[in-house]
Amino acid sequence: MLTQTNNFHKTRDLVWAWTVRTLRGRYQQSALGWLWAVVQPVATVAIFAVVFTRIVPVDTGGVPYILFSYSAVIPWTLLASSVTDMATSLVHNMNLVGKIYFPREALPVAALLARLVDFLISFILLVILMLFYRIPFSPQGLLFLPLILLIQMALILGLGIGSAALNVFYRDVDPLLKLVIQVWFYASPILYPLSLVPEQWKWLYFLNPMSGIIASYRDVLVYSRVPGDYLWSAAGISALIFIAGVWFFKRVEYQFADIV
Amino acid sequence: MTPVIQFTNVSKRYNLGLTRTSLPSILSQWVKPLLGKQGNATDKKIYWALQDVSFAMEKGQSLALVGPNGAGKSTILKLLAKITNPTTGKVEVNGQLSALIELGAGFHPDLTGRENIYLNGTILGLTYKDIHKKYDEIVAFSEIEEFIDTPVKRYSSGMAVRLGFAVASCIEPQILLVDEVLAVGDASFRQKCIERIKSLLRNGTSLIFVSHDMGLVRALCERALYIEHGRLQASGTSAEIIDMYNRVLEKKRVEKMNRHDGGMDEVNAGIEVTRVDILDVEGNPVHEARTNQPLVIRVKYTAYKDFGKSNAIILIHRSDGLLCCNIRTHLDHFPMSIEKGEGEYFLKIDPSQLFGSMYYVESWIMNADDSDGIAFGASEWFEVRNSIQGHEANMAVFEPNRAWGQNRISQNERAVARPTA
Repeated sequence: MLTQTNNFHKTRDLVWAWTVRTLRGRYQQSALGWLWAVVQPVATVAIFAVVFTRIVPVDTGGVPYILFSYSAVIPWTLLASSVTDMATSLVHNMNLVGKIYFPREALPVAALLARLVDFLISFILLVILMLFYRIPFSPQGLLFLPLILLIQMALILGLGIGSAALNVFYRDVDPLLKLVIQVWFYASPILYPLSLVPEQWKWLYFLNPMSGIIASYRDVLVYSRVPGDYLWSAAGISALIFIAGVWFFKRVEYQFADIV
Repeated sequence: MTPVIQFTNVSKRYNLGLTRTSLPSILSQWVKPLLGKQGNATDKKIYWALQDVSFAMEKGQSLALVGPNGAGKSTILKLLAKITNPTTGKVEVNGQLSALIELGAGFHPDLTGRENIYLNGTILGLTYKDIHKKYDEIVAFSEIEEFIDTPVKRYSSGMAVRLGFAVASCIEPQILLVDEVLAVGDASFRQKCIERIKSLLRNGTSLIFVSHDMGLVRALCERALYIEHGRLQASGTSAEIIDMYNRVLEKKRVEKMNRHDGGMDEVNAGIEVTRVDILDVEGNPVHEARTNQPLVIRVKYTAYKDFGKSNAIILIHRSDGLLCCNIRTHLDHFPMSIEKGEGEYFLKIDPSQLFGSMYYVESWIMNADDSDGIAFGASEWFEVRNSIQGHEANMAVFEPNRAWGQNRISQNERAVARPTA
């Protein structure tokens, strides 16, 4: 029992140290530093805002387009950046994996946490935007927000850890993943509202867990309402992906050091 | 008492090559069984890094793994450190283990020395609390107090290595694995590292040590295993195994060298030397001669005509090019005569007195007045071992039969011999 607690502390401290290392490595020697966490989503939103308010206006249901799109872009950026980082986290540190024994999952988990910090920083700007546009903070929103984030984290963990393990065996995973994420972006309600998705295709659309997750973020943050049932289907699918990813990782992790 | 480390019939197989990962080969792997074709066994390059290795180590022992590159030493360490699993057999480790295999693992150049201590420590399995307790000790040992808040990228490589060793060795493990990490750093720091390992040993840590530096092996380890081609070839005291290792190295080096045994094209004199053998006194071939035992050199020849009075020369060459002896029938007044047919002549040297090394013998058959060679042959390389262990190869020319003596000169005589001031 005592050794288990100790092992937990060791792994926790390792994950934390590696997260700090990743963040420091990313922002050291850069003038903007952590502000880069905001620059990326802001730039994306700025482009979208021009296209989808001036050229092809979309119906946002009465909320400013900037808020509409920023509230979706930041969770999307969290997914896209962390999954790609996680996928290469083992391969980029093969010299370590091949020479030292430590809990292997620490590397992808730290990659995720480092991106989560970016997410939290860009979330601050969302709060500022909400204050600026005088969007009321709903109590339901605050209640549901941690749950939505938890579901998203399960999805990312499953996907990222699974890809990290598979990438050790087949380096194709990394470029393939980038391609999938590109397509996935358009299959999620980021640029456009859910109302544009034809009713008869909704069941298929919500097989994509990010549809439910992003729609739910918008519900609680922008529309001040309880998320729709799609959150629960997203939760179910995310849980399955989490289990599959972790199961695969645990099944093959003993082979990592042999494949360098 | 249960051993701290127990290897039981451990084998480790690696699949070399990346054949499996390219799309055509994956497809062909799937398609072949469908077509009823047997997969070709040579498709997969299989490499046995270790084969059937068994050994045990008691608590507090220090054991060196000795052998050439690629022998399987590092694989043993990886198995011990749980980095990889054995293909067959069982690896048991009883006790907390720490490995000094990669110093400064995970060091990030942009982080300061202080930050890297925490990072490196957690990778090696310490908690922040543990590291905090040892922090001052680590910094003191690494001797870089004044640079501790400088990014590691500004460190010299020696400084980074010192810091890495300081973190890794502050863990006081029950079992310590050390792999060739002391080869870096300056002499004084290296000495400090050795002292540190010795003090861990005194406190009951068991040590597994891998190095090509036999001086270090001698200094740190009581026992050693000799590993080659993935197999445990021998186990014994460090002195025994070091001796063996040095001889194997010399043998390898020498076997690549040319012996002077080219045929004599221009001398087609109707006679050839067919064999030169090194034998013991019973006439059996010798693979490993002893310096204090006799050797018989036998030269076989075939003559296609009668030569009558002839001479022979026997030369003993050492691996470093030294000609050790030049023995001639002519000078020794040994009457030799060669008639048509096969024949042989011998030279017995008793004892050989040759110093431990690798040798080969060259023999010439000379004409009647010993002025011209008519046939020539050479033996394979053979090894001579010293009568006692501990010498290095080629350190001396011969090991004579000998007896030590000592006489005590009386105090009075010495007082006389040394004038007083």
